[in-house]
Amino acid sequence: MRKLLDFLLEKKHWFLLILFEVISFTLIYRNNSYQRSVMINSANYASGYVLSVAGYVQSYLNLRTINRNLQEQNGQMEMQLLDLQEQIEVMQADTVTFKGAVSDSARIFPFQFVIAEVVNNSISQLSNYITINKGRKDGIQLDMGVVSEQGVVGIVSNVSDHFSVIISLLNPKSKLSCKVLGNNSFGYLTWDGRDADYAILEELPRHAEFHKGDTIVTSGYSAIFPAGLIVGVVDDFYKERDDNFYALRVKLATPFSSLQHVRVIQNAYRNEQIELEKEARKND
Amino acid sequence: MINRIIRALVYFGIFVLLQILVLNNIHYLRIATPFLYIYCILKMPVGMSRSSLLCFSFFTGLLIDMFSNTPGMHAAACSLAGFLRDPLLTFLKGEDLPKGLYPSYHSLGHAGFLRYMFLFVLIHHLTLFLVEALTLFDPLFLSIRIIASVLTTSLLICVVELFNFETQKIGE
Repeated sequence: MRKLLDFLLEKKHWFLLILFEVISFTLIYRNNSYQRSVMINSANYASGYVLSVAGYVQSYLNLRTINRNLQEQNGQMEMQLLDLQEQIEVMQADTVTFKGAVSDSARIFPFQFVIAEVVNNSISQLSNYITINKGRKDGIQLDMGVVSEQGVVGIVSNVSDHFSVIISLLNPKSKLSCKVLGNNSFGYLTWDGRDADYAILEELPRHAEFHKGDTIVTSGYSAIFPAGLIVGVVDDFYKERDDNFYALRVKLATPFSSLQHVRVIQNAYRNEQIELEKEARKND
Repeated sequence: MINRIIRALVYFGIFVLLQILVLNNIHYLRIATPFLYIYCILKMPVGMSRSSLLCFSFFTGLLIDMFSNTPGMHAAACSLAGFLRDPLLTFLKGEDLPKGLYPSYHSLGHAGFLRYMFLFVLIHHLTLFLVEALTLFDPLFLSIRIIASVLTTSLLICVVELFNFETQKIGE
């Protein structure tokens, strides 16, 4: 017995190593499944705080570009406003068809935005995540969609009280249902881990028509994103091995390397849709 | 003893913060990311008990994981590297290294330190990238990434070691 104890004590670093590796791999695999641990990621309070201080400093460095982007957006919106005003005027002049510019109040647009700031962002790893400074207390829930001014960013995967983590499009685990603008065949957007500017749109049926330079938008087939948000532009295409589907190389619209502000999309009818779909599946 | 703990904490603080705030954002040509933080494991004194070195490495890795959203990956790589550090030193320099010696250019010789550092970095990076590749496998790209990252990390450690005040003082 004594000898056994001595032996165990002598070799204790081996047991420690095994213990640590088991812990690490449990963490890795638990994180791959749907139920993720909230503690060891950048949504927990301590790391969120440090990263948000760093993000606060960094945000000053980018003020010039942000300013320019805002001005550009401002200009575009002004143009849109003028365009719409003109349309109203035309409609008012044509009094036979004009039914008033008041929108139908019975039908509320179900999507709303929460604006958040990026505090941590990676594009170099195989699985990339983004941390933002809004959490449960700001009304953010699991599986909400996230967009930037330029395009789709990702989907919320972890939420704490004040921070949340987003699985960005630059992550092999994210699969986004997309379609080519102007026709209705859809495919799944994934990332091959190589270039932060490009992603792959897979499983697009062979009869789908498209050209280089066509815009790729969200399909709206889930409760996460509304239809028609810009994802990217077709850069190149090739047939997949079994030849029944196309795979497209898509140049992403979002500049992931310089992401600063994002908007989280809240869907008022999301729970209703999910409940309904669940019920439909129950009958299988 | 107290001195040693303070020294370990100072190294830990500086290099982990540097890694989290600066180096995690570097991806040279989109392939190479330096992981300088293993320098604080590399510089732990010879003769430190293997279990305490292992614990130190594991928690360093875990902290990096927490900030870079890679739960378990750095922890796994660091604990393996920390575990293999003593056998590595014995393999390179034999059993006769005095206790409490800090590995440096001065104490191991230039070639000795470079060999020790390179092998240590290689062990850590190989584990890290192979564990990462469990989620997505792409052999060519993976090997390019490993080679590039090992080179950048080694280069950075060489430079940091050259400018390390502590080593310079002992070297006088």
